[in-house]
Amino acid sequence: MEALQLIVNGLMAGTILAIPAIGLTTLFAVLRFTNFALASHMTIGAFAGFVANTSLGLPVIPSLLAAFVIAGLVGWLSDEFMLKPLRATGFITTAIGSIALTIALENIVRFIFGNAMRGYNLPLRRDWVIHDIRVSPQQAENLVIAVVVMALLFAFLTLTRTGKAMRAVADNPMLAAIKGINADMVARLVSFVGMGLAGLGGMLIGLDTTIDPLVGFKTILSVFAAAVVGGLGSIPGAVVGALVIGVGEELSLLVLTPAYRTAVGFIAILLVLTFRPRGILGQRAY
Amino acid sequence: MSGFDRRTLLKLSAAAAAAGAMPIRAYAQGEPIRVGILTPLTGAGGNDGPRMLKAMQAVFSEVNAAGGVLGRRIETIVEDDQTNPEAAVRAARKLIEVNKVSVIMGTWASAVTAAVAPVCWESKTFILTVSGADSITLLPHQGFLVRTQPTSKLQANAHAEFIAGMGHKRVAVIGIQAPFAVPTKDHLDSILKTKGGSVVSHVIYEKDKPTYRSEIDQAMKEKPDFLYLNGYAPDTVVVLRDLFRANINLPKFCQSYAVPQATLDTMPPEVSEGVMTGQPSADVESSAYRKAVERLGAKEIDGYEAQATDWASLAVLTMAKAKDTSGVALKDNIRKISQGSGEKVYTAVDGLKALAAGKEINYEGASGPCDFTDIGDILGCRFRYMKVAKGKLEFLKLV
Repeated sequence: MEALQLIVNGLMAGTILAIPAIGLTTLFAVLRFTNFALASHMTIGAFAGFVANTSLGLPVIPSLLAAFVIAGLVGWLSDEFMLKPLRATGFITTAIGSIALTIALENIVRFIFGNAMRGYNLPLRRDWVIHDIRVSPQQAENLVIAVVVMALLFAFLTLTRTGKAMRAVADNPMLAAIKGINADMVARLVSFVGMGLAGLGGMLIGLDTTIDPLVGFKTILSVFAAAVVGGLGSIPGAVVGALVIGVGEELSLLVLTPAYRTAVGFIAILLVLTFRPRGILGQRAY
Repeated sequence: MSGFDRRTLLKLSAAAAAAGAMPIRAYAQGEPIRVGILTPLTGAGGNDGPRMLKAMQAVFSEVNAAGGVLGRRIETIVEDDQTNPEAAVRAARKLIEVNKVSVIMGTWASAVTAAVAPVCWESKTFILTVSGADSITLLPHQGFLVRTQPTSKLQANAHAEFIAGMGHKRVAVIGIQAPFAVPTKDHLDSILKTKGGSVVSHVIYEKDKPTYRSEIDQAMKEKPDFLYLNGYAPDTVVVLRDLFRANINLPKFCQSYAVPQATLDTMPPEVSEGVMTGQPSADVESSAYRKAVERLGAKEIDGYEAQATDWASLAVLTMAKAKDTSGVALKDNIRKISQGSGEKVYTAVDGLKALAAGKEINYEGASGPCDFTDIGDILGCRFRYMKVAKGKLEFLKLV
């Protein structure tokens, strides 16, 4: 029974990581560099949702939408003006540039909102108890949102012309260019969607905890771990990776004290990468 | 150009040079005393750091307005320690090596102070801190460190008395991974045992996790009747929310820095209802406390602002007493103005006047008497307990 509760706890912890991990992996699939600026976009989304919820009085779903749109717009603009010029110089330069960008953006948030912790104006619900297993309604919703987002993204990539163009650029940018696909337009779109998802994930984390300018920075390593374990570049992989990290960390509590939880997540990365260097589901985008 | 001949031009140049040199000479005579402030403006301590900074700067401004120390102005150089040991060490090195400060004050988290202290004693820089872990003053700091915060032992013993006084016997400790984690649990346990109780479970968790459900489940296995939450604000909020979700309604206690009013405002009132907090109390009846409140233009100040007031005052008075601003002078002379039979003074400015009149002084601070042991701990202090009702902190008692 204890193990079952730990698995449920792990699934719920994992779902929190899943959505930003989908964002990170989508960005990587198309733009082919690890965009660490995801951290600040999680923060921006969390604060955009906070303003929508507390200042404008919007309920949770429209606030999540605001988090997505604002973080997406900032993602598009920051990519257009900051990271795009760096891409020609190689992925390491761009990845380092994204670290610089994330610190700059995080500090802009700090300048506007200050350092204080803030919370959303939403009621907290008690756990459901099903056969002695406790399930948090909020986190169950997170799981549903993660699955819906994944399904929407999946449908977008497979069924729409723009989605197919994105996959084409992800698979072979040169060939895509020859076929007349506008790689710049695809990059803009993927920056918007990827960072929008980061913002959505940031707000979902904030719903469970509190928010401050470091909300994204504190989570980015776990998000990165989830994306890598699942297969960097694979969208279902990001979800699987997040759940594996979540459940793995929780199950470790059967034999270890909680102080070593994060180490277990990263040992999981080492193990997965040793046996499956491309992650659990490989690197195909869908 | 017709108005200028060569002689006039020479005279004007000489006058300009002299005018330019004058402030330089004045500056050289009274070159400012640089004081390093290294405090958490961000991270878990971000709620307390900025307020401590304000309290220190208020004292220095008052001293500067009264003519400074040893004829020199105090200049503060502020660095953010980010509540992060690695960032703090980098900032401390910058303060010591680039800014040449002889004293650093303001570190908050014990892990940060433990990292910064060796940098200080190696460079003969004096450090004043609010960190409470027992291990801090046991470091081989050669006297270069004092703290105004009671040790984990003093605090845990007081908390254990408080908890036992309410009749609780089975205490679960759920706390963050920090230097004070295990010592606090041990001290709580030893005092509770003398009262017929004990710590029945102890779970240490990692910071920055979005949920602590499993940690709480682990702590609850031993069926405690009281929860002692030993974390910082960001993680304590998560623990409190998870406790509420899990429908665990046991009485609970945490350090006041883990649930300041600003943190309570981030959660629905039902989540924090009944949480008890304790903190080393500012000495609210003292003259130093009243003057600090006045100086900061506040209605009241908390233990951290009071301690920050005391660091600034102690540093200034020690420099004046020693007629030397070096770290070694601070180390050798601080106890000459902080304790003993000298005239009691309650502010830095009053102390400076008394020293100028050739008197011996004993600074009595806003946070307490500021009497230090050989290893830099304070001898004792008061504790103030509060309880949360409808999302607001209400006074419970002062012990």
